[in-house]
Amino acid sequence: MHKGFKPLLIVAACCLAIWGLIAYNQPRLYHSQSYVFGTLVDISIYGEPEARARALTNHILQDFQHLHQQLHAWKPAADNQASELSTLNAAFSSGKPAVNISPRMAEILFDASKLSQQSNGLFNPSIGHLIGAWGFQRDEFSAVNIDKETISNLVKANPRMSDIVIENNTAYSNNPNVKLDLGGYAKGYALDQAADYLRKQQVSNALINIGGNIIALGQHGDTAWRVGIQHPRKPTAIATLELADGWAIGTSGDYQRYFMLDGKRYCHIIDPRTGYPVQHTQAVTVLIPPQAAHSSQAGVLSDVASKPIFIEPWAQKSTIAATLGIQHYMAIDQASHAFVTPEMQTKLTWLDADFKKHLHVQATALH
Amino acid sequence: MRAGDWCVLTAGIVLVAVLFQQLWSHDGATRVQIRLGDTIYGTYSLNQQRDIHVEGAIGSATVSIMNGRARFSKSPCHNQYCVHQGWLSRSGQAALCLPNQLSLELIGETKNYDSLNY
Amino acid sequence: MQIKTTIEDHRIAKLAALAIALHMLEAVIPSPLPGVKPGIANIVTLYVLFKHGFASAAWVSILRVFASSLLLGQFLSPTFMLSLAGALLSLGVLWLSMHLPKKHFGTVSLSILAAFAHIAGQLIIVRLWLIPHASVAYLVPIFAMAALFFGLINGIIAHKLLYNEISITDTSPRSSHH
Repeated sequence: MHKGFKPLLIVAACCLAIWGLIAYNQPRLYHSQSYVFGTLVDISIYGEPEARARALTNHILQDFQHLHQQLHAWKPAADNQASELSTLNAAFSSGKPAVNISPRMAEILFDASKLSQQSNGLFNPSIGHLIGAWGFQRDEFSAVNIDKETISNLVKANPRMSDIVIENNTAYSNNPNVKLDLGGYAKGYALDQAADYLRKQQVSNALINIGGNIIALGQHGDTAWRVGIQHPRKPTAIATLELADGWAIGTSGDYQRYFMLDGKRYCHIIDPRTGYPVQHTQAVTVLIPPQAAHSSQAGVLSDVASKPIFIEPWAQKSTIAATLGIQHYMAIDQASHAFVTPEMQTKLTWLDADFKKHLHVQATALH
Repeated sequence: MRAGDWCVLTAGIVLVAVLFQQLWSHDGATRVQIRLGDTIYGTYSLNQQRDIHVEGAIGSATVSIMNGRARFSKSPCHNQYCVHQGWLSRSGQAALCLPNQLSLELIGETKNYDSLNY
Repeated sequence: MQIKTTIEDHRIAKLAALAIALHMLEAVIPSPLPGVKPGIANIVTLYVLFKHGFASAAWVSILRVFASSLLLGQFLSPTFMLSLAGALLSLGVLWLSMHLPKKHFGTVSLSILAAFAHIAGQLIIVRLWLIPHASVAYLVPIFAMAALFFGLINGIIAHKLLYNEISITDTSPRSSHH
């Protein structure tokens, strides 16, 4: 019955065509995961055909790659080409006169300086030497034994963002001890860039996660995007919350980058005043609403703002949070007890009974 | 088999495939989780029709499950906000009775959150 | 008193009897899923539709539903309701599809369309009355698949009966085929 073959093929082709047409138009969640910025990047786009979502994601990931190459604090970009940041750092340390910087770098340095000042120097991206001394400027780090004198010297050198002078897209430093490390800023900046790009591309619903920092656009279909907050010591989520359009969330934790030495934990968040890693806090999570156009954006704040709160001792945490204008945050101490602001508590859905039991809700001192 | 027959057959195949895809994909809610205080009281399939009586902090409440949905149908609380939440039908939807310390949440094949912050 | 019967009546009676017999036969054979049956009695309905017109086909179909349910002791039972709903809806669809150009749409088309209409009618009864529950949705794709498959087969068989001129009732010369 070979006469029957041709119609059969046509039937099959028609089926596939119709099927494809239907499938192409389904509202769908596109989800991609990849490793950029030395970390896991997770992008979800809702409501776009798969091909478009994939193209958009690839574009974002490429942008991230470029950003990573531009801002990497210690790795040369490729083919013996130092990153723009490394070049700048080399110029700073050798006391060179002003070097040219890209408009993007200038923009970043301005913003970072402003935030550093606002946080009373607790957010300090110029302490690269100190971070390097503790061994955290490597992809893998192990226990480092540093003597007190080295630390004290590094602290005394007092590198600050205000030492950097930026004029007409050039920069120089008044203090050769300044070494830029934008680790606490770059992920947030990348989030804002990606969100802007998607908005310009008329994408209304997406969720971007860079190394744990998340920003949301729109919703997940009919419901809001939902994010989980990780337990500082276990791979589970202790709570979830809804992330509305334009909101961002970030966490600084002692479980992200650390090493153990003689039973003590040394994490990558260093108090610039003492030169030592913070040891009294396990994690601080901040929730940032969309910001006005002329100020630092939600993504950046979600990255930057958690660190000063993390660094300050418990008696001062609410003060620095108020100074930075952070209303929604949670801090977890070494006993795994969580302290949340009432505003933050209303947003949280607790999953972990232990955490819920030892929860403290306390008001921030505001305005 | 004539030309039109082949068309009808093709359309039939596509229809069957679409029905499978639409009705057999598990992205909806399949269970309701009742929490009393901070512990899980129980998790129930939405594929049944029943009333569950739960003793909460201030009294007995009734959770009804029907047609793949769940709701507070009776509550001892004063404001009855929980009852007014009505039927929960989608994964992730929740109703809460604060005075009675009872909460309902619909969970499905999908997980609790879209992304993890760490 | 004598009821005057026409040749037409005799023919319908014979065909209905055949349909009932097929239905009974099918009722005896167990099916893996409740409600999923080959529906071979529908072959008769199709045959009658093409050979003798819609009115005869409708008679045969309805008679089959009533008589079978009486014989099986299922009269006015849920099974009867399901059968009736399916038959009515598929007759409706058959009547509509009779207007399709015969040059392009033969027994297979009508059989498949009628089969889908049949399960649709049954699923409506099930959903509204027998099992008023959202999980009926899970049955729909399976029933649809069965409708497609058996609709196709029944259509092919009906075609063979009609155009290989295997007459099942008349001894009169065969009618012209299209």
